[in-house]
Amino acid sequence: MSHEREKSQSWDWDSPQCRAQLDEVFFRQHDYIQTGRTEHKEFWTFFERFQRFKAKKEMSGSKSSRQESDEGKARKKSGSVDLGLPKDYDARYRINISVCSKDIEERLGGSEHRRRRESSGPGRQEITDCRLALLHFLDFNQKQSFNKLSKLRREQKSLPIFQYRDRIVELVRTHPVVVVAGDTGCGKSTQVPQYLLASGFDNIACTQPRRIACISLAKRVSFESLNLYGSKVGYQIRFETSRTTATKLLFMTEGLLLRQIQQDASLGQYQVLIVDEVHERHLHCDFLLGVLRSLLPLRTDLRLVLMSATINIKLFSSYFSDAPVLQVPGRLFPIQVIYQPIPSEEQVSRSEKLDPRPYLRVLQGIDQRYPPEERGDLLLFLSGVAEISTIQEACQAYATHTQRWIVLPLHSTLSLAQQDKVFDISPPGVRKCIISTNIAETSVTIDGVRFVVDSGKVKEMSFDPKAKMQRLQEFWISRASSEQRKGRAGRTGPGVCYRLYAESDYDAFASYPVPEIHRVALDSLILQMMSMGLGDPRTFTFIDPPPASSIQTAVTYLREQGALDEHGELSSIGRLLAQLPVDVVIGKMLVLGSVFKLVEPVLTVAAALSVQSPFLRSAQHNPDCSTARQPLNSNQGDPFTLMNTFNAWVQVKAERGSASRKWCRRRGLEEQRLYEMVNLRRQFKELLRTHGLLEDHAASRAVPQDRARRRERLTERQKLHQLKRDHELQENTKRKVLRLEEGLEGDASSASDGEGASSGKKRKDASEQTVDIQEVKFKLRHNVNELQEAACASADLSSRQQSLLKLVLCRGLYPQLAMPDEHNATRKDSEQVFHTRNKQGVVIHPTSVFAIDPEVLHVPEHESSEFGADKGQSNRHQLLAFVTLLETNKPYVSNCARIPALQALLLVANSVDTNVDCSRLVVDGWLELGLTDGAGAMKVLSSALTLRGEWERQLQAQLGQGGPGSSAGLGLSGPKVSRRELEKLCEGLVRFLLYTEVSYSLRRLAGLQSQNLYIGPQKDPDLSSASSLGSLFPGMKPEPDAIKGGLRVCSYFTYNCLRDSKDLYSECLRSFWSCPHCDLYMPLTPLERMQHEVSCRPPEEQQPEEEAEPESVNTSSSSSSGLTRVYHCDICDKDLTLTSTEILKHKRQHLS
Amino acid sequence: MDLSEGSALGVFTCELCELSSPYSFYGQKPPNTRAIVLLEECYGMRDPFCPEREKFLVLGSKCSLCCKTVCVGTDCSLFYTKRFCLPCVRDHLHQFPEQVQNEVQRKKSVQKTSSS
Ligand SMILES: [Zn+2]
Ligand SMILES: [Zn+2]
Repeated sequence: MSHEREKSQSWDWDSPQCRAQLDEVFFRQHDYIQTGRTEHKEFWTFFERFQRFKAKKEMSGSKSSRQESDEGKARKKSGSVDLGLPKDYDARYRINISVCSKDIEERLGGSEHRRRRESSGPGRQEITDCRLALLHFLDFNQKQSFNKLSKLRREQKSLPIFQYRDRIVELVRTHPVVVVAGDTGCGKSTQVPQYLLASGFDNIACTQPRRIACISLAKRVSFESLNLYGSKVGYQIRFETSRTTATKLLFMTEGLLLRQIQQDASLGQYQVLIVDEVHERHLHCDFLLGVLRSLLPLRTDLRLVLMSATINIKLFSSYFSDAPVLQVPGRLFPIQVIYQPIPSEEQVSRSEKLDPRPYLRVLQGIDQRYPPEERGDLLLFLSGVAEISTIQEACQAYATHTQRWIVLPLHSTLSLAQQDKVFDISPPGVRKCIISTNIAETSVTIDGVRFVVDSGKVKEMSFDPKAKMQRLQEFWISRASSEQRKGRAGRTGPGVCYRLYAESDYDAFASYPVPEIHRVALDSLILQMMSMGLGDPRTFTFIDPPPASSIQTAVTYLREQGALDEHGELSSIGRLLAQLPVDVVIGKMLVLGSVFKLVEPVLTVAAALSVQSPFLRSAQHNPDCSTARQPLNSNQGDPFTLMNTFNAWVQVKAERGSASRKWCRRRGLEEQRLYEMVNLRRQFKELLRTHGLLEDHAASRAVPQDRARRRERLTERQKLHQLKRDHELQENTKRKVLRLEEGLEGDASSASDGEGASSGKKRKDASEQTVDIQEVKFKLRHNVNELQEAACASADLSSRQQSLLKLVLCRGLYPQLAMPDEHNATRKDSEQVFHTRNKQGVVIHPTSVFAIDPEVLHVPEHESSEFGADKGQSNRHQLLAFVTLLETNKPYVSNCARIPALQALLLVANSVDTNVDCSRLVVDGWLELGLTDGAGAMKVLSSALTLRGEWERQLQAQLGQGGPGSSAGLGLSGPKVSRRELEKLCEGLVRFLLYTEVSYSLRRLAGLQSQNLYIGPQKDPDLSSASSLGSLFPGMKPEPDAIKGGLRVCSYFTYNCLRDSKDLYSECLRSFWSCPHCDLYMPLTPLERMQHEVSCRPPEEQQPEEEAEPESVNTSSSSSSGLTRVYHCDICDKDLTLTSTEILKHKRQHLS
Repeated sequence: MDLSEGSALGVFTCELCELSSPYSFYGQKPPNTRAIVLLEECYGMRDPFCPEREKFLVLGSKCSLCCKTVCVGTDCSLFYTKRFCLPCVRDHLHQFPEQVQNEVQRKKSVQKTSSS
């Protein structure tokens, strides 16, 4: 005994060596808890607490316990059963776990061993102490986990929907379609999928309108179904999936499910489909319902569950042949509604700023009526960003004065970090005042809101088919939205909703918001329908059919884009576009770019144009940001600026990793958008690869990595995975507490990291120290070196490649073109005006490079003559190709690139009409080009037609090969298009774009002019000229144009149909001309000249068939009789029946 | 990651509070826990709240007196060398040491005040 005590004195629990010795006993490699793990650290912390607790207890002593238990013993005698419980209480008896360590005890018991350890090792007492602590530790952990489980189950039970669990499962078992209607807080989104999963349904897909909801629901439901660390519950969104073979419940976006239907029309992989939030009536959702409705008869085993708020339920039920409806009451606390219509003197006209007084009155009212100790935040709904900043400013002034509010804006164009602040907690006695767009109506849910202020207004995007323009307009909300907004006040307790309109206004609101399908452009939808073989979109049974006119507009647009052919069928490029989950214009760019081997730059541009702009608006008026951004700007246009930005960012990432965060901040860039770009870019690349439009690089440059390098990369990846896991675990940690001055710094210093408020700086530093999870994900997903290579490649594009890229952009974006107003050169920079075909007087969005530098769009003064016939003539006219035209307070075009007008139009326009000598061209019926140099005009036109023909041929050849479904990586070197041919085409196009030396005037046709443009159909068409044109375009049959008049040479070119046109063969049009390739020198009409140019090629280009063709005129019998005419040859003195070409050839015989 | 998935033996349901959860082992030896032994036959599962794979969580067991299946929650049962459901504890309260008696009595009064 004395020996033992001696040792305990030398034993020091705090010494790392001593602890290490016990680690050897209890926490070995294969033990339940292992040295080095988090739990091991937690144990020793627990141990210290435990020892302290024990010591305290020993001090106070347990005097009475013995006595009490004696008493107990006495009473026990009267009882019936003897439980045989120990008389002396010991906490140890409360633990149902033991740690068996016989092996160690034996080891320590051995005398030899003992001697060896005697001086320093742990004795029996230490081991017992440690074991006891370990038992308590294990028990403590068990209790913690069990409490989590029981709390979770309690919460599940308390949800209103819980009462309906069996009923829901029963309904789904017995009906193909079930509608579950329940209001916010009833728990349908998280519980219904679980009920079905628990009752044995497998392979459940649940769609959501928003990506973010897919992720958060998957996380929540996997937690609730006790599978947080497994993959039974997963999500799949555009760039990310957590799906594995074990996944039984999958949350996904509506769009993604539609894509899957495109691949597998019967959706065989799912047994149950849950379509959530159907009442929101998003375009994709409405369409999805239509598709599923027609799928149900084919899949009688499929179960469909529609989940909706309690809005318009009958509509959904009757759409699915009166499907049963289960209505679940929501869990809302009572909300007091106060109508406070804005007095007329405070109402504003459209152009004015919002008057903040009605809003301030609400804040004051709250301050007067409710003591600050009573918590509860305020959520204020306004229609748009401008309105938010007006009210924010006023509220902030009030907040600074009272020190009782933190004012925070919330809208989708804010940086994510700023958006995130609304979830932070305000300090005691201070309320948050969140000023939001309708984003907080459904998308973002903020707890702790007690007061809602509803302006009753919303800005909604609608499509104006006449102007071909998106429009963001302010409307009154619907009663359904109004109720939704009100409901936000009663999520966590009773609330108050202030409506800044009259009750009579409310009664006059529409019942429901206008479904998206009635508001937006339907191009993508129609394209997808066509490719799914759903038949005529006009007869498809939508839940609420869109107006026929808007379907027609979409069909026309798709035809203009080349996605549909003349008969309204999918073209080969259209088929491909339908597979790409992007806008038609972006898809076109991708396809065209890969044909020209511009894959890397075009991927970047397409990705950049598909995400929100990374340029933060708040940084726009910050001179530091502008200066830092300067080197990234390209005066070629915004797509090029975006590409430069992306490339520069990739360089920073490759060289300095997470320092890119700071780099972005300095330039006023939202890094999140760049991460989105890099992800999207990768997805596009995959798409091109699966569609055979990408040469497989992996094979061609399989640089064998040495083992060490591979190993290094592997270890790095493991480390990154660990970081990601750790981050995910931390994610649920507590929210930050806001500081009173939080609202103040919002706009001013968020984008710069200049001098700013020092408090702001502190916050940034703190965020910098935490793991940059985006950086981790980025490194896991992308090979930085590969990206860097790609960025380098597209960073120094030759001017040749740049022109090609521009052409690709232009053909992709066509017909989205705008023309500078002729008086722009004399206007201020801020007053530059442009015109599109359908909308006059549009302006460039202030974020565009052309808003900063509009001069590059002007025709240089010295180059355009201002007087006489040459007025406005120049070879430097330019147009803007733009991505979006959106009207907010003004119609803005954004994401613009400048393009050479004549050249680009001739290469991409759908309709080119000329007069007889081609000195006057009208493109798409609205742009008129006047070329005074007849010969030059002819040459330009002729080479454009040739280039276009060849371009089309090569494009078709390649699309034909690598069409959808082709898995073989048929790249660009396929047999149909040789490398040489492609290079020649590129060369030709570039030369045409860059070096066309022809002066012309460019103007917009006024309304009346464009109405009286064409000759119209002629009664007695000159068929001979038709045949003569035929030789210009082998394989095409020029025909008199039934509408415009003149001759329709090919789908986009109609010759001599303009009203000023003269007689085709009028002698006065003849002028002497010498052919550069043969000896021909004679007076020819423009048409004859073109014909000759086509048939007379330099020797190396001549095709064998042509040479084989018999030269003799008399033997020619191939031409159809209708196209010949009688020709009297003076030299032969004979009447010959010949086509125009043959006449020409005949003439040539005499010359040689 | 998914080793434990789909390996549920059945569903454990507490006869007192109806808490239920799938269980993946029954007995005194949670799988892969080496030196750890349970002092009663337990229903248990992989600890769903712990990222590490081999951690277990005991859900409940049978009352040593009435054989009812009860969860380990303090409202349903307690362990004092053996598992006792709370009704049984109350029936034999005098046989338990003072600490346990106090604990159970305190629980009763808390329940009373919260339910009223
Ligand atoms: Zn229980
Ligand atoms: Zn019992």
